Amino acid sequence: MIAVQNTKYLIRKWSLLLLILSSLAQTSCKKILDVVSPNEVDDNTVFTSVDGLRNARIGMYSSLQDRNYYGGYYQLVAESYTDNGSTGGYDLIDLNDLAGRTVSPTNIYIQQNYNAIYSTIYVANKVINNIDIVPNLSSEEHDNTLAEALFIRSLANFDLLRFWGEHWDKSSAYGISIVTNTDAPAQSVARSTVEQSYQQIFTDLLKAKSLFNSYQGNQYASLAATNALLARVYLYHGDMQQAADYATEVINDNNYALFDAADFQKIYTNKLTEESVFELKFDPQNTSFFNGATYLRDDALRSDVTFLANADLNTFFESRPDDQRSALVDFINNDVSIEPDGRSQKYRGETAKDNSAYIIRLAEMYLIRAEALGSVDGLADLNTIREARGMTELTNEDVAGEGAFITAVLDERRAELNFEGHRLFDLVRLGKVDEYLGEGVNPIMPIPQREISATNSLVTQNPGY
Amino acid sequence: MNGKKLLMAFVLFLFTATAMHSHAQTAEITVKGKITGKDGLPLPGVSIVVKGKSKAAALSDADGTFSLKTKEASGVLVFSTVGYSIKELAFNGAAANLSVQLEESVSVLNDVVLTGYIKQKKSDITGAISSVRNKDFKDQPVVNIAQSIQGKVAGILVTTPSGTPGAGLLVSVRGSSNPLYVVDGVPMISESNSSLATSYNTDGEVVGQGQNISSIADINPDDIESLEVLKDASSASIYGARAANGVVLITTKRGKSGKTDFSFNSYTGVQNVARVIPFLSSADFVALTEDARAQDYTLYQQDPSLFGDDFDSRILTNPLPSSWNTGVNTNWLNEIFHTAPISNIQLSARGGNDKTRFFIAGNYFDQQGTVIENSYKRGSFRINLDNKVSERVSIGASASFTYSRNHRSFNDNAYTGIVTNAIGASPLEPVYNEDGSFSDYTEYQASWLSDNPVKSAKKITAYTSSYRFIGTVFADVDVVNNLKFRSSFSTDYSNINDDQFFDPSTTDGVAVGGKAIKGLFRNTTWINENTLTYQNTFKEKNSLTVLGGFSVQSSKINASSIRGQGFPAGSGLQNISSASSITAASDINTGWGLVSFLARANYSYDSKYLLSASARYDGSSRFNPSGRWGVFPAVSAGWVLTREAFLDHSKWLTNLKIRASYGLTGDQEIGNFQYLSYWSPGRYDGYAGLRPRNLGNNDLTWQRNKMFNIGADFEIAKGKFSGSVEYFKGNRTKLLANAVLPATSGFSSLTINSGNVENSGVEFSLNAYVIKKKDFNWNASFNISFIKNRIKSLYSDNELINAYTDLFPTHILKVGEAVGSFWGIQYDGVDPQTGDPIYNDLNKDGVIDDADSRVLGKATPDFFGGLTNDFRYKNWDMSIATQFSVGSKVYNLIRATYQTLGWSDQGWDENGDLYQVYANNAAIVNNRWKNPGDKTDIPRASLIFQNYLQNSSQFIEDASFFRIRTVNLGYNIRPKSRKVFSSLRVYAQVQNLFVLTNYYGFDPEVSSNGGDAEQTAGVDYAAYPQARTITFGVNLNF
Repeated sequence: MIAVQNTKYLIRKWSLLLLILSSLAQTSCKKILDVVSPNEVDDNTVFTSVDGLRNARIGMYSSLQDRNYYGGYYQLVAESYTDNGSTGGYDLIDLNDLAGRTVSPTNIYIQQNYNAIYSTIYVANKVINNIDIVPNLSSEEHDNTLAEALFIRSLANFDLLRFWGEHWDKSSAYGISIVTNTDAPAQSVARSTVEQSYQQIFTDLLKAKSLFNSYQGNQYASLAATNALLARVYLYHGDMQQAADYATEVINDNNYALFDAADFQKIYTNKLTEESVFELKFDPQNTSFFNGATYLRDDALRSDVTFLANADLNTFFESRPDDQRSALVDFINNDVSIEPDGRSQKYRGETAKDNSAYIIRLAEMYLIRAEALGSVDGLADLNTIREARGMTELTNEDVAGEGAFITAVLDERRAELNFEGHRLFDLVRLGKVDEYLGEGVNPIMPIPQREISATNSLVTQNPGY
Repeated sequence: MNGKKLLMAFVLFLFTATAMHSHAQTAEITVKGKITGKDGLPLPGVSIVVKGKSKAAALSDADGTFSLKTKEASGVLVFSTVGYSIKELAFNGAAANLSVQLEESVSVLNDVVLTGYIKQKKSDITGAISSVRNKDFKDQPVVNIAQSIQGKVAGILVTTPSGTPGAGLLVSVRGSSNPLYVVDGVPMISESNSSLATSYNTDGEVVGQGQNISSIADINPDDIESLEVLKDASSASIYGARAANGVVLITTKRGKSGKTDFSFNSYTGVQNVARVIPFLSSADFVALTEDARAQDYTLYQQDPSLFGDDFDSRILTNPLPSSWNTGVNTNWLNEIFHTAPISNIQLSARGGNDKTRFFIAGNYFDQQGTVIENSYKRGSFRINLDNKVSERVSIGASASFTYSRNHRSFNDNAYTGIVTNAIGASPLEPVYNEDGSFSDYTEYQASWLSDNPVKSAKKITAYTSSYRFIGTVFADVDVVNNLKFRSSFSTDYSNINDDQFFDPSTTDGVAVGGKAIKGLFRNTTWINENTLTYQNTFKEKNSLTVLGGFSVQSSKINASSIRGQGFPAGSGLQNISSASSITAASDINTGWGLVSFLARANYSYDSKYLLSASARYDGSSRFNPSGRWGVFPAVSAGWVLTREAFLDHSKWLTNLKIRASYGLTGDQEIGNFQYLSYWSPGRYDGYAGLRPRNLGNNDLTWQRNKMFNIGADFEIAKGKFSGSVEYFKGNRTKLLANAVLPATSGFSSLTINSGNVENSGVEFSLNAYVIKKKDFNWNASFNISFIKNRIKSLYSDNELINAYTDLFPTHILKVGEAVGSFWGIQYDGVDPQTGDPIYNDLNKDGVIDDADSRVLGKATPDFFGGLTNDFRYKNWDMSIATQFSVGSKVYNLIRATYQTLGWSDQGWDENGDLYQVYANNAAIVNNRWKNPGDKTDIPRASLIFQNYLQNSSQFIEDASFFRIRTVNLGYNIRPKSRKVFSSLRVYAQVQNLFVLTNYYGFDPEVSSNGGDAEQTAGVDYAAYPQARTITFGVNLNF
């Protein structure tokens, strides 16, 4: 009897406890387990407003700024493989291999470049594929933002093609993996042919060209930048008239003008000058890696500076005594320990480290048009650049024959664009690798082993690796 | 919600169990008596219970008397206390004068062991649990409790990756790293949270994980009473989703009733670097360079084409410039190492009465590093209180506060660190110029350095200050007979400040006028745990314990950092507000929560057949809401053979238990918010925007560890010999891995569940009272573990991993191999004719390149263990603890700096004058090949050719070792009259006396790449060397 009473009393007491406990469980479970990140934004919400789209647009440029892309290493790695550059740093095999022009598929620098470029493509694809669902977006902003995304996608695709694809051979199967979809990102994408890769780039650029409706400065993608990139891609593709025509459009654009020999160093000391068609801007809170990798400071050792200037670049400038651009490579004022290497002076921002990436400059347009038009019609453009850099004009006799003219253009490109990431691709597309870089040097980089493993060899390795 | 149903079911079950058991009310009687122990002296603190009635219990007083009230008219009294055999004595009715004599015993069977939410007698345990008592680790001059159990527990491999004070440790339980630490019931945050635990290159880029500091170091080892390691899944699974790597339960000291005992413990001593790498003197360094030139010149005369077209042979023949004749002979390691003091003072008091008990302690620990300028200081307080409010209710609290200040050794283990710079620096360079300023390293002969190491040590200051509060309040309520309710609220609050300043005179700070980094980390964790425990004995022989509980935990974390540069010259100002520009700022808020329901039942029949089952139902915020709940069950059983008739009363085999267990545990350590795709802030052109951060994975779930364990515990001759044998096979599945994604995805990796690693092994431990006489005792304990780790499947096989992001791959994840396997080219020794190194051309293509790489060993040992001998002769005692590890290897990456054999990284000028070689070399190069026919494994010296290959087995060394870890010699005084003090012990101790190893670096126990990265374990990038410590100490009780 007592036991029964006890039990009743107990049940009452326990029911209370149970109630407290379960309500505690109920409320706290939900609260404690539904933690949201205060630092980030859910993917599903990015494209639900105009603000979100604008954020993603900024993010697109921000991803171009990655260290391993236009933050510095895309151009610098490419230069270090040529007679313009060399590598310093601590004695790192993967780095030494770049300068030794014997890159292995596991090379970390190549792998990081490859990943960074596709990361940029992913953001661009996100914008391209979602822009139509953004509510209350004006058609002007829609078109302009879409055009920017298409431009950035083509820039990235072309950068992939010229570094990892047989871009000089339109019949080659070794193009790039073209990604346009963002629904199943983990899916492997096989390589397209070189011609398919070019067509993708042309399609995107021509669509971008038709969409641009406002100019926001040369730190953003623009109609002029699109024309300029078209000129560059047509040149690589061998469509000389098209290359010349698009270059002309940029040259005739009033937003841009060449400096003269006294002023041209402003390109590198100032930001966003009128010589830049597309320049990626950095600031002290958002630094680039050019200074740290190429210059750092006066007394820095060879081991501190990752990407050095090649002694051959010094020899090259010694043969051009009037060329004011020789001042942008320093082989003298360096510590003895870094001889016989030098330093590029294009990225001297030792305190702020906010050097720009010079992606497309007006001078390149003149040089493209010169090359596209050939020795007779193109010489004027070549001389325009020479004059603007303090050199004497060449005469027809100086460059008699296409071979001599091409050599002159190549030299001019080297003098003008060294350490801006052009030399390797110029040598490759003009078939000069054996002559300048040595017999048997592979003209393109290996597809990272990591990519081949991750795709179960769906992505194939380049010849020679 | 499922959880709620589970809870209801459980409470209902308890009702029934309680209700079923009704009592016959009878009159209360009192049993009184006196207990004596050794030499007939009164024995206080003995627990007396009526067998089968845990409610009726008493403790003996200081004079050995006891008084027990019970409602049972008759029964059996059970007397038990540590160090004595259990005694049972029948009673019938009240008694006033029982005389009980207990017999001393060395048996540990009756020791009470914490097994996660409940305590059990060791003899009743059915899982694999190791316990370590305070006496096994006290007085050791170490910061971190885990360090003091090195070599003492079977199956636990504790590696000290660095000798830096306060360093994080690599603790691996049966092959799985990073166990969960639970201090007095509070699961601790145990990771390294200092933002300075990262390696940077001189450009400020992160290149790898540097030296962790461990937050377990916030727990003062002197406060710890005991430590239990739950090794198998059946014992650990009560901790569910965090238990996959084992659980370490730490119990701090609590008060006891009786006279207040004060205890004063202090030691002071000195530390030296235990093993120094001998480097070449100036003369030997010059001789090496000359030999390198001479060797090359001989070759040049035979075949100049080997040297290239433009080679200037004057480099090999010009006399060395005058800069090679400084007359200086600096031993750089001696310049940065010093003899460093260490001291510790602890004062504690424990006491109380029947109602209230307390333990209070204060501690101050002060250690200077063996590298100059480096130090660690820690002060801590602890108060543990228990109060008996009424017969049914008791409450208590534990609180500890710790402050530590670590003056870091800059970039420990990384490129530009102090030790790293001292390695390979030119001996011809003085530390200071004649005017007292630091010498400029660029003017001397080694190009490897990034700064004068003494300057780095003095001019780069880095401090990590930590404030840690861990506190609990709890209440225990005897709801009804046999049913206890316990509720506790706990908090773990941690605040870490990092301050680093690069003086404008340093390489890192020169261009920008000084740099500063300020970091702040704050973690606030709240935990509420509620448990109900039902304990009863039915029909004398059936003993049942059932526990159910509910727990909620929530953590909020804030980590921010700010960087500035450009400080007022000569002002001495270092605070970030005096910087001319702020170059970076970050502020990360994050958090996670865990809600758990837990249940456990232990049943024993006659202490002969033992059964145990447990389950935990965990919900974690880290996973997708639809898949965030998981059940982690376990079962185990034991059979005590010695209680069977056929073995009963065996004279020699006093206890033999065989047991088996199987269970499932989980691991949620994947970081927060990985299941969602997120965009994080990105900037351009002064505008803020968003860029994709990660690819979410909705299917993400717990990593699981299924473990099967069988074991036997034995005791021979009443504990003279005792030990255990265990075999286990653990299968870690659904590994939380970073799957390599195709780059085309836009991301480099995706956190997924894939892969399967099997850990299996055998553990054996034995404790022997070899001699136990009145004046002489010898106790030996030995343990050995054979643990095999094998990858069974992977998402992406043959993944190469870099210990440092800008180095070549050092490790591989490969099916069939162990986690932490090294990858590189095999070195086949030196050609006796030419002195050139020979590398194995695995694919026979005539070229030595990456394609010739293979697995070259692993970072984990084949077997390891320890032997500890304790001696006592009259008032003297001595303890010698040793440790061994066999079969592990270390990738001695830094050796590729100090075995460069005179190679120069083009350190000559246009006149062919040689300014610099790469680095000074260790004395080991004196064994190099010099003449045809020499048989050695060190190639010939060469200025032009790299006669070494960094990613080859040339630098993968056998790291097996035998270490005398601790030798402690003490003298005890126990005065007859205890008026002044009750006991005094003075001692001398040597820590890390001796290491026997073939490893050439500072220490074979090393892991430069952080303390916890098991995939890239065992690399040596000039880790801070370990110290040999000599201390003198005193333990005074009064």
